[in-house]
Amino acid sequence: MKRRTKLWLVTAIVAIMTVGLIFVSLQWSHKNVAALTRRHNSQLSPVIMIPGSSATENRFDGLVKELNKNQRNPHSLLKIRVTNKDKLQFSGRIRPGDKEPFIVVGFQNNRDGYSNIKQQARQFNIAFKELDKRFDFNNFKAFGHSNGGLIFTDFLENYFADYKDQIKITKLMTIGSPFNFDEQSIQNKTQMLSDFIKNRKKLPTNLSVYSVAGTQNYTSDGIVPVVSVMASRYVFQGQVKHFTTITVSGTDAQHSDLPQNDQIVRLIKQYLLTHHKPRRPE
Amino acid sequence: MMNRLLAISTRFYKSRVTRIVRDTLSILFPIMLLGSFAEVLKFAFLSPSGFIATLFSVTKWLPFVHPLSQLAGVISRCTIDMIGIYGAYGAAYSTVKEYGKKSAAVAGAVGILSFLMISYQTGSRGRLVFNPTLMGQGLLIALIVGYVCGRVIVTFERNQLSGPYQVIRPLLIILLLSVLANLFISFLRSPQVQTFIFSITPHPVQGNAFPYVIGMGLLTDLLSWLAIGGPYTASPTFTDPPALANLNHALKAGTAYNAPFKYTATTLFHSFANFGGNGVILALIIAIFIFSKRKKFLTVARWSTFPAIFNNNYAMMLGVPILYNPILLIPFLLAPLVNMCVVALFLALNWIPAAVYPVPSGTPGPLIGFIGTNGNWLVLVLGIVLIAIDVLLYAPFVKLYDRLNENAGDKHETTD
Repeated sequence: MKRRTKLWLVTAIVAIMTVGLIFVSLQWSHKNVAALTRRHNSQLSPVIMIPGSSATENRFDGLVKELNKNQRNPHSLLKIRVTNKDKLQFSGRIRPGDKEPFIVVGFQNNRDGYSNIKQQARQFNIAFKELDKRFDFNNFKAFGHSNGGLIFTDFLENYFADYKDQIKITKLMTIGSPFNFDEQSIQNKTQMLSDFIKNRKKLPTNLSVYSVAGTQNYTSDGIVPVVSVMASRYVFQGQVKHFTTITVSGTDAQHSDLPQNDQIVRLIKQYLLTHHKPRRPE
Repeated sequence: MMNRLLAISTRFYKSRVTRIVRDTLSILFPIMLLGSFAEVLKFAFLSPSGFIATLFSVTKWLPFVHPLSQLAGVISRCTIDMIGIYGAYGAAYSTVKEYGKKSAAVAGAVGILSFLMISYQTGSRGRLVFNPTLMGQGLLIALIVGYVCGRVIVTFERNQLSGPYQVIRPLLIILLLSVLANLFISFLRSPQVQTFIFSITPHPVQGNAFPYVIGMGLLTDLLSWLAIGGPYTASPTFTDPPALANLNHALKAGTAYNAPFKYTATTLFHSFANFGGNGVILALIIAIFIFSKRKKFLTVARWSTFPAIFNNNYAMMLGVPILYNPILLIPFLLAPLVNMCVVALFLALNWIPAAVYPVPSGTPGPLIGFIGTNGNWLVLVLGIVLIAIDVLLYAPFVKLYDRLNENAGDKHETTD
């Protein structure tokens, strides 16, 4: 009799647990599939921007204003500042219905140098993780001025694998990014360039990269040697889908003026933006 | 027919090699049982992608989740991922013991030595690196190594010397053989040979046709019966191209019906042929509970239930044992085959959607298909019916195995 009671008790407990598990599984499955569907069908394709060293998250305000001139649907602007304690401060917002917002990520530690770039790439990953959580986007485009391009490269090689199945990076545009710092010759590879080349196989293969150099004379934009910008080909060429180098000269071709350069604004419209329609002429 | 099978099996069961294998596996059982508990805890309960962890967000609220997971990792690494060492030890020990020699304990140590020598990777800049594949999935090789060591010791030991000194001569022979084996494996691992092997192995272009999936599934089961890793890994990855295409189609269409690839490793093999691990072990456990009267099997089944719920079948493979057991091989292949065919029929008739959505690792048997179809009730019912069918498939073999163990003479273990 006692044995029988025990058997019934075990059966009852197992049955209750099974039903409970089925119920919880069902709930989770519905929630998960809904989230997957939302992301898969999402139209959102942000342009994520990182400024160069010494600049803040406000660095591209002028550029965004310029890009939004005469736009039927102006791109909204969200700015994130990552503090030294890895906290995120948001300003601005993404307008509902905006398919192609600009998201600028700046850092409290905005100093130059490889160790800082590594630190900034790690901090960018924190910001990116938060963006991934808040917004359902399945692809994005990247824009980096100066060291910003290096931070993106470091991020793509060392952190992006975690998101690969869900999020694609379609385009990366770097403006005056010193892939070999101040070195005048490719024979002297900096530690950073060596690391980038060593890990280049981790770069996404469906990515199109545009490496833009400014030139005040034949060798430099006043700060970064053209050779150093062009060193990006040793990182990207042959690994990503397309790799294009562009040199810009003339007015505003100095390193720090590049984000306001008319040619570059036009290049951004042409190569980076996909939802960009000018207002109908009235 | 069953009687003839019984007669053949009894003869087989009494052979020396069989006894050695059985003894070895029973040495491994307790170690691997604890290992499989640790593995289940790590992957289903404490990893963010695990079943229990996902459903109850364990990793968010449980304190010390990271060190706990590391601890479970230490246990599973040193047990299941090192199964080769224990196998070599056990086989050498059991062989020498079977031939009635006293040097069995030393032989075990020699077995370990030989296996370590074979799996040591030279050319790793002097660091202590052993071949992880051989360690974790090379149980068959380990058993052979142990057996050969045992036989060499039995044949060449000198009886006039006493104790451990007896094994010096056979030890020399074994060292020589092991070095040769190591050289051979190094040769196999060299880039040129790898390229050659890669170039001659057939690479299926269409990895999703029905016969191909059935064939690969059965091959996986057969190899796991031999304790070698099969073509399909233990759990679905959801990153192979057909699975991604299915998922994308389902997300776009909002339904899992009419998936572009209906018959894939995920939709058939992983979702319906692996309840409790390769060979629908969950059904065998239930069959033992219902039909077996032998205390040993009941104990093994009871201990193995927890890991088997989360699709870990190590304990059952070694405890019953299923490994190298010709009687249980038949249902071990038949049950998954029946499941895959029935599900394929249901899919062909469009009665059920294909399992396309991602499932957390360690999801219990029938729930894999249920979650994979985003909660299709017919799929759940079908899964339970399939388990019932599999239990009936296993039943005659469990009864036969019960009788065989009586015939084989250890009656004292039987209950009631």
